[in-house]
Amino acid sequence: MSQAATGRAAEMTTGDEARPPARAAASPWRLAAETFVQNKAAIAGLVFILAMAAFSFLGPLFYHTNQVTTNLPGSLRPPGAAHPLGTDDEGYDELGRLMLGGQTSLEVGLAAALVATGIGVAYGAVSGFAGGIVDGILMRAVDALLAIPTLFLLIYLFTVFRADVWLLIVVIGLVAWLVPARLVRAETLSLRTREYVQAVRAAGGTRRRMIVRHIIPNTAGTIMVNATFQVADAILALASLSFLGLGIPPPAANWGQMLSSGLTYIYGGAWWLIYPPGIAIVLTVMAFNSVGDSLRDSFDSRLARR
Amino acid sequence: MIGYSVRRGGQGIVVVIAVTFITFFEAHLMPGNPARAILGVHASGAQIVAFDRANGYDHPLFIQYFAYIGRLLHGNLGFSYQLNQSVAALLGERLPATVILVGLSVVVAFIVAIPLAVLQAVRRNRPVDYALTGASLTFYSTPTFWLGLIFIDLLAVKVHLFPPAAPQGSAGQILAHPLGLVLPVATLALVSIASFSRYLRSSMLDNLGEDYVRTARAKGAPERVVLYRHVFRNALAPLITLIGLSLPGILSGALITESVFNYPGMGLLFWNSALSQDYPVMLGVTIVVAVATVAGSLLADLLYAVADPRVRYRRA
Repeated sequence: MSQAATGRAAEMTTGDEARPPARAAASPWRLAAETFVQNKAAIAGLVFILAMAAFSFLGPLFYHTNQVTTNLPGSLRPPGAAHPLGTDDEGYDELGRLMLGGQTSLEVGLAAALVATGIGVAYGAVSGFAGGIVDGILMRAVDALLAIPTLFLLIYLFTVFRADVWLLIVVIGLVAWLVPARLVRAETLSLRTREYVQAVRAAGGTRRRMIVRHIIPNTAGTIMVNATFQVADAILALASLSFLGLGIPPPAANWGQMLSSGLTYIYGGAWWLIYPPGIAIVLTVMAFNSVGDSLRDSFDSRLARR
Repeated sequence: MIGYSVRRGGQGIVVVIAVTFITFFEAHLMPGNPARAILGVHASGAQIVAFDRANGYDHPLFIQYFAYIGRLLHGNLGFSYQLNQSVAALLGERLPATVILVGLSVVVAFIVAIPLAVLQAVRRNRPVDYALTGASLTFYSTPTFWLGLIFIDLLAVKVHLFPPAAPQGSAGQILAHPLGLVLPVATLALVSIASFSRYLRSSMLDNLGEDYVRTARAKGAPERVVLYRHVFRNALAPLITLIGLSLPGILSGALITESVFNYPGMGLLFWNSALSQDYPVMLGVTIVVAVATVAGSLLADLLYAVADPRVRYRRA
């Protein structure tokens, strides 16, 4: 075998040299976009995310169900003509509830990822740029927060505060910013010594300009890749919290909370309460993870996931 | 090596001190104030003042903090007024159970993940590799609690292969019922298997592109020797670091697994005290979990420095 370097990771290191010279002039964004489009898993993931968004947000416009008042006589019906996915223990239609749950998952997932990324980027860039003792203090604080497993921190916060959608977004975001902070800090450490950044200083540019105009844009690849994984993680965190009963109280719906009531009826054989929401979570999280994986390959950034 | 250990250990201590800041802050986040949270909404003003005085809550914050550190150093993790037991005693009962669960699942994850990753690296970009990559992406994206539910539904309710709930009692009693441990350990291990094998596969493929592999092939070493003697060994070392890094995630997973299977560990204790708003227990468990995480990643880093001497000379 001539070059065993057919593996994905190996390709990443040699990809640029192997390209025809005509393409070398294209912008890195364009190259990344081209690689991304060629990746079938990435496209499948992206299509799935769009389909899930359509299902959750447009679905209720066509498939009308009562998701507000309970209907106890009609509870725990197996899937049938009236209810394609059956009803849950309070008589809510499971398919309609799946759509509502999808709305919460996507909203909270995307917004929490945005919060986490925003905080992480600012914190990491400042810490890496400042260096020295400031960096040391800021990073030890990150280490300390990372030492407390996310779920323990989240559960504590939600026993103290009553959850609503906004609080969920803020708190999940506030707990999740640590990883992007570390990644951006590591990149900043190397970027701040580059000549074009030094040139800003030589030309009399402010430190703020160096960070905002030159350092952060150059970490965009890393940030995008991590933000995608953040969405996946936030959806999982929301599901876990809701499963434990600490999410948004009913009648608001959430996939994790649907599974939590499914646990009670699992011994009665109510399989339709555990499979649809679970599969929805797995596929959505998988879609975001696979988009993230392919973005990482496209940007050729050697990120290690936690 | 000594210099590196001292430096790395010092960082660990700083992190633990920072963790105590966080838990101290968390304690003051309790609704109302600690006295209100512990004595309840019906406590009278006089009772609150008496409680504050008895527990030092009438002192300035920084004095309270040092008193708190003093208590921690004496092994006093707080007192559960709801269970009428010291948090340390509660943890003494529950900690061994969690150590069993987490330890077994990490070992199982290793035993399964290593051959899978090697197989993937050997048969890279063949159907087996794609199938396993797909499987690991799936499990990586699966919430622990759902995996537990599926196991209960398929292997405990539909087919009566394993008991649906974990064995109860002390560590000895748990180990006496190995059948009951199968589902919780498998649930917790599967996610780790997925992440370990993903990591090891890509680490092996990274190494395949290195110069030393070309040298080994150039001198005529058979592909088997290249893979197992050179690539595998070099790819395995970073896995040590990964375990240290995944410890917080595994402990979060343990909390979920314990609550699904009613497994009498620290995670279940934490969750039950969250439901009954037993804050002292939650803070005590948090401290122990955080110290365990810091110690775990410290141990992983030191082991890694033993395995790969280059690390010792690189300043973090």
